[in-house]
Amino acid sequence: MNTPYRLNRFVIADPGKCIGCRVCEIACSTVHSREKTPLTAGNMNNPVQSRLYLVRTPQGAVPVQCRHCENAPCAAACPVLAITQKDDVIYVDEDLCIGCKTCMLACPFGALKLVPVFENGLPVEQNLPLLSETAQPENSNGDSDGYKQLHVVIKCDRCLGLEQPACVANCPQQALQVVSPEEHLAARMHEAAVSLAAVVRNYTS
Amino acid sequence: MYAKNFDETVTIDTIIKMTSPIIAIDKELCTGCGRCLEICPVEAIAGKPNTPHEVDTAVCILCGQCVQICSGYDAPDETFPTSRAERLEQRGMLPTVQEPLFAAHYRGDIHRVIEALQTPDMFTIVQCAPAVRVAIGEEFGMPYGALTPGKLSAALHALGFDRVYDTNFAADVTIMEEGAELIKRIQENGTLPMFTSCCPGWVKYLEDQHDDLLEHLSSCKSPQQMAGTLFKTYGAKIDQIDPARIFSVAVMPCTCKKFECERPEMNASGYQDVDLVITTRELAQLIKHAGIDFPALSDEDFDNPLGCYTGAGNIFGTTGGVMEAALRSACEMLTGTPLPDLELEYVRGDEGIRKAAIVHEGVALKVAIVAGLQHIDSVLEQIRSGEADFHFLEVMCCPLGCVSGGGQPKVLLPNQCLEAHIGRKSGLYAHDRSLAVRKSHDNPQVKKLYQDFLGEPLGHEAHHLLHTDHSHNRNLV
Repeated sequence: MNTPYRLNRFVIADPGKCIGCRVCEIACSTVHSREKTPLTAGNMNNPVQSRLYLVRTPQGAVPVQCRHCENAPCAAACPVLAITQKDDVIYVDEDLCIGCKTCMLACPFGALKLVPVFENGLPVEQNLPLLSETAQPENSNGDSDGYKQLHVVIKCDRCLGLEQPACVANCPQQALQVVSPEEHLAARMHEAAVSLAAVVRNYTS
Repeated sequence: MYAKNFDETVTIDTIIKMTSPIIAIDKELCTGCGRCLEICPVEAIAGKPNTPHEVDTAVCILCGQCVQICSGYDAPDETFPTSRAERLEQRGMLPTVQEPLFAAHYRGDIHRVIEALQTPDMFTIVQCAPAVRVAIGEEFGMPYGALTPGKLSAALHALGFDRVYDTNFAADVTIMEEGAELIKRIQENGTLPMFTSCCPGWVKYLEDQHDDLLEHLSSCKSPQQMAGTLFKTYGAKIDQIDPARIFSVAVMPCTCKKFECERPEMNASGYQDVDLVITTRELAQLIKHAGIDFPALSDEDFDNPLGCYTGAGNIFGTTGGVMEAALRSACEMLTGTPLPDLELEYVRGDEGIRKAAIVHEGVALKVAIVAGLQHIDSVLEQIRSGEADFHFLEVMCCPLGCVSGGGQPKVLLPNQCLEAHIGRKSGLYAHDRSLAVRKSHDNPQVKKLYQDFLGEPLGHEAHHLLHTDHSHNRNLV
């Protein structure tokens, strides 16, 4: 990092390149798996839990994910301080999350999602018993009747610690990239300057 | 209950076979990204972008590369008309399978294995292809290419198979037959170049699209089918069992092997030679279902005599391996002098086309190897135009041969696929180097088989059991 005030970088997709294959979701889920050995499909004993979400519309498909806002409303809203800023990443400590969903309400992009928690392929239960007779516990492993599965919020951590986010590294279309706001701005200014120079040259000649 | 409406011989199995294609794309899960369409070596997949794609079963060679690349899955946040439980059942998969389900998939046959294992009168025999032992560990968190023949054998014993035999044994027998056939074609001015016939997708492709070249195809059955025939004849004799009681299962890295075992002509034993094929992944799912801790298993040997194998049989699982195994034996058979070095680096390699010339004791052999069926057409054109100067052509449909087959563990990250395939390939060569016997014709149990049962390679009995007439099979299918 050149400057201590660097703006938060984020992953963004080019809708023109995205083919909607969902490799980014699989890659995301794979590298964030708690088992850390999900090399092949057979090792995935949890449902796929991605931190970016492929949205398919009639105009085409594109994944959406966290922008790592500078004044992150999710972090400001979290009542248990589970969301913090680590380097230039807005980070959720999933062990602290109480599942209150305030961050979900605060996020303008829908980048946070509550997901059920698994350990070694088995659902983790909430501490609170489920009293309703009609509601059945989700993903029950058979002996957990009366308890609902624990849910926590997950979001993009831009693969902290990895050289490149897994979604970016694995996209077969190179449709995803990490955007550095300063570099992006410099590049846009450069483009503008070049095009302006061309216009002026054309006009004067 | 099904049989009432049909002919007596039609069973539920037949109905399943008739109604479920071996390779299919699930319309509910397919996002229409088109990656399968691009990887398909025979252009059997069609569809518009962003709409579900379809497989043309008449053209498809069942290699399963679409199954490997597919990334459209049953996302937990989305609702699909079919529930996960129903989808597992439709695909013939175990209800305990936890992994995500993808759009491109193959027909599961594991329920029939369980049924056979639970039938008291059934004598169950299983064989494993070479590439299975360098991949199945991956499904249990072991590194890419982990070499686990001992654990594989232990797991199959624990599941209750009466005999745990090996496709590698039959690969050694294949070399005896195919080596003898090559020598005969060279010496008697037969059709050259001779093509290998162990890859069922390649055989199907040639039948479907280039039947004018079928004369080039070796008449040898694949190792899977040779093994199946021998289990129900020689094997039945050894165990003094009525072959009608034998249920023969093959564990394969390949989805097309399911098709091969069902070909109507594959019944030289008097029965369907191989009753059922399951993939490496299906076996891993069964091992998990049975609660067996695969990585913790102690090594066990494959059963004798039909589980005895050499390093040459083992390298069939990767591109160049059949060629190398054949050369190790054929050069020695032709000249009476063994090759000075068994590491035939010049036939090993990656996806694409390779050619090599071997000179040994005055004998000169030229060979070509194709890995990845999309590379074959230019080679076939050379053969048609008479430009091809080589004697022997090995073809494998999948990128690095069977190690990267459609039934192998599915690598989830595209940028790890090559690493996985190379790891498996290295595992096979490492196993070859570690084995005491590395030439098929030195396999003591193969020698005994010919002595006690088959007679000579290409002899009457061998011809009847181990060879097939490819140019006539098409009429039967």
